[in-house]
Amino acid sequence: MKTLYKKELNYYLNNPLGYIIVALFAVFANFFYIKDIFVVGQASMRTFFSILPWLFLIFIPAISMRSLSEEKRSNTLETLLTLPISESQIVVAKFLALLTVMGVGLGLTLALPIGLSFFSKLYLPEVIIGYIGLLFMGAFFIALSMFFSSQSKNQVLALLISVIIIFFLLIINSDFNSAVLPKFVQDYLSYFSPNYHLQNFIKGVIDIRSVFYFVSGTILFLFLTVIDLEKRG
Amino acid sequence: MISLRNITKRFNQKTAVEELNLKAKEGEIIGFLGPNGAGKTTTMRIILGFLRPTSGEVFIHKLNPIEDRIEVLKMIGYLPENNPLYQEMKVNEYLQFIADIKNTPDYENVAEDVGLSDVLTSKIEELSRGYKQRVGLAAAMISNPEILILDEPTSGLDPLEQDKIRELIKRIAKKKTIIFSTHILSEVEDVATRLIIINHGQLVYDGVKPSGRGGVEKLFKKLVRS
Repeated sequence: MKTLYKKELNYYLNNPLGYIIVALFAVFANFFYIKDIFVVGQASMRTFFSILPWLFLIFIPAISMRSLSEEKRSNTLETLLTLPISESQIVVAKFLALLTVMGVGLGLTLALPIGLSFFSKLYLPEVIIGYIGLLFMGAFFIALSMFFSSQSKNQVLALLISVIIIFFLLIINSDFNSAVLPKFVQDYLSYFSPNYHLQNFIKGVIDIRSVFYFVSGTILFLFLTVIDLEKRG
Repeated sequence: MISLRNITKRFNQKTAVEELNLKAKEGEIIGFLGPNGAGKTTTMRIILGFLRPTSGEVFIHKLNPIEDRIEVLKMIGYLPENNPLYQEMKVNEYLQFIADIKNTPDYENVAEDVGLSDVLTSKIEELSRGYKQRVGLAAAMISNPEILILDEPTSGLDPLEQDKIRELIKRIAKKKTIIFSTHILSEVEDVATRLIIINHGQLVYDGVKPSGRGGVEKLFKKLVRS
């Protein structure tokens, strides 16, 4: 599994596209953070953390789209599945490589809050828990995008489907829904929104229900991806 | 060593392989012939556990390729049809990757055996078709597996490269079971110790090669036409 993890990670390290996607993510994320400081006059990370899921909406499907669809298109999946490595090892190795790439992207957003903490009062545990929440959310979106990548030989189609599904998950508890749906429906639906669960982390609270939501969602989509690989006729 | 009992494989309504029985022993080089769509690749994929048979049983040393997938795949080296490779990798990176997954210390002897020493640091996408085929073959041979399944190993190669691959197959054949499919009938005459012909998914011949030049071709045409 370590071998495949290294190979997958090397793909991003040796590919300009990987750098471009991660750099774009970091540039936009830092831009939104700086905008908060200078335009809104706020050094809090909360607004920044609330915006990041919308960057994940593009960033994560973009890095995940090729994970299995490219293997299917180029038939290298046959090579991989006829080597002594299990389907679950293949899926987990690819997942961990993507999680590492996402971690690098998130890591590139750390410089500003760290720098700012020298000049203003940033409540560090809240920042750390916020980042932990983003890691959980990112892992969930990666697993989801990998599953849709396994459903098509076309990377662009995999990207589009993942973006649409993540978009709907993100808007479940939006203000628009609050305005048009009865409250009990809205409360019920909110539980399925990753944004709703991220809010707890952003407030500096590790809610076990939110951890359960992200972990179970991640495991569910990884499991479905393994099942898809095991199917193969 | 390899045993297929009443194997049938259907894709929706289409039957790719029907009631196929086959046994292969150590030291045999089996030439696997059949027209396009006869079920050769499907049969090879079933032996590997890559495809699940609709009915029937497959055993490799009493192990089931679906249930004991990892153990079975440790015994088999496979060169798939069209030889899919990770084009963005260098030859040495790719072979090291395969060696690591097969838990084998190195790939260098195999690379030398198939004549890849000069291109080890080249990217696979930059290689000629012949060299790419050698990379696929080297990957199949890493860890010295007991069984080699080669799906059209000389496909698309020029006659000189075809000769080299055939010599290589003959050289490594001792104490191995090799099943190779091909459309080049003279290749079977030259390399195989046993001949299997399937047509429309059914076994139509299993036995020794006909003697004499052109014997395989005559037999093949007779059986496939009828």
